[in-house]
Amino acid sequence: MKKLTIIRTFILGLLLLTAVVANAQQEKVQAAYAFLEQNKLDSAKANIDAAVVYPETVNDGQAWLVRGYVYKAIYNAREKGNRRSPARLEGLYSFKKSLSIDTNKEFFADNIDGVKYFAKTFHNDAAESLDPIDYRTAIELFNKSQECFKIVDPSPASLQAKQTEFDFALVSVYNAVLENDNKDSARVFKFFTLAKNIYNKILVLEPNNIQANIGMGKLYYNQAVNIIKSLDIDTDITKMDIIEENTKKLGTVAEPFMKTAHNLDPKREDAIIGLTGIYYILHEDSKYNIFKQKLEDIKKQ
Amino acid sequence: MKKILFILFSFLLFTSSIVVTPDAAEEANAKIKAIYIYNFTKYIEWPDNYKEGNFVIGFLGSNFALLNKLSEMAETKKVGSQTIQIKNITSVDNADKFNIIYILSDNSAQLSEVVSKVKGKCTLIVTDKPGLAKQGSGINFVVVENKQKIELNKSNIEKYKLKIASTLVSMALPVN
Repeated sequence: MKKLTIIRTFILGLLLLTAVVANAQQEKVQAAYAFLEQNKLDSAKANIDAAVVYPETVNDGQAWLVRGYVYKAIYNAREKGNRRSPARLEGLYSFKKSLSIDTNKEFFADNIDGVKYFAKTFHNDAAESLDPIDYRTAIELFNKSQECFKIVDPSPASLQAKQTEFDFALVSVYNAVLENDNKDSARVFKFFTLAKNIYNKILVLEPNNIQANIGMGKLYYNQAVNIIKSLDIDTDITKMDIIEENTKKLGTVAEPFMKTAHNLDPKREDAIIGLTGIYYILHEDSKYNIFKQKLEDIKKQ
Repeated sequence: MKKILFILFSFLLFTSSIVVTPDAAEEANAKIKAIYIYNFTKYIEWPDNYKEGNFVIGFLGSNFALLNKLSEMAETKKVGSQTIQIKNITSVDNADKFNIIYILSDNSAQLSEVVSKVKGKCTLIVTDKPGLAKQGSGINFVVVENKQKIELNKSNIEKYKLKIASTLVSMALPVN
């Protein structure tokens, strides 16, 4: 009997202690939010980081939501412009964690807003990183934004539309390198392959994408032109057959892509321009004359 | 919480504005012909009296891209010690001294006139239309299987006292 009383007292004490600790953690969450409202970000961070490590709050959706808010505020105040901002990653992690444990969807809308906000910052940072030096960072940041948008709006069509838009922007960077910085053949090969892979990726999903067909046609056509442009005037005549064979191959690959685009939209000027150039470089005079005429007709309209 | 107005940048702004132009193809094909013509100066030997003064190339016809490429060649290259001079001509005078006369396809009808005017001289006649190597030109540009080739009529070159290197003969399409 006495033993039973001791056990009961012990359990009661334990429950009381748990309640006190849990309450203390909730107080930390509330304190963190209050500090956040007062823009005391270091105090807010200290409180919320201390709160979420305890078993009582580790699965509390509200605590993680507040943590998301705190890190979002830190990102905004101190790390905006830092493409590798640790606060942004912590904030995103917190919103995602809150979403994953908030089974009643009590904080769903607030968490989604938080994720959406970070999605946009990743997206914009990706856009700002799009240049021949930082393009890998742009890809990383864009993938991160897609990861976020997938949570906000998981419909494949929405994600694919964003992906295609980014892919076209990225391939423009590769094309700019090929156009303006084409002295180093290894670099040309690298960017040519990167661009080709992107167009292929788009065309596998959308074989009738006019822009991608024109892009692929341009890529091969420009490569053919650039090979010849890069030749020195005293290139030996004995090498000309191999050079012409290579340009012929490139022109022959370019033609069906440009033709597809032209068939899909016969009035599209850049497809007509592309075909005019391709037939000229392939020495196909009759086809060249047909498309040259089409081009003149379009310009008259 | 304070709301922040957020503008999502559009990647469409980055989409390429690089366009292909037929001019680029014209320049490319012009460069190929210019390379051939410069090679003719290396693989054909003119008599000593044609190695004096400028190395004159008469350009009969209208092709801005090609004329431009040949002019660039003239600015940067020499034939032996001779400065290359490109003359854009409309006809050939009996007194003219040309190392090469290049008749463009649109002016092919002038071939017979040119042949008669350069008789007894040391001029390489280059043409640009199928069949003309049989009608008096020494070298004729032709397209075979979408590639630029040259036809070479050895007798039409040698009768102007020009010597042809075997390399040029071996890589050209022979015409008799």
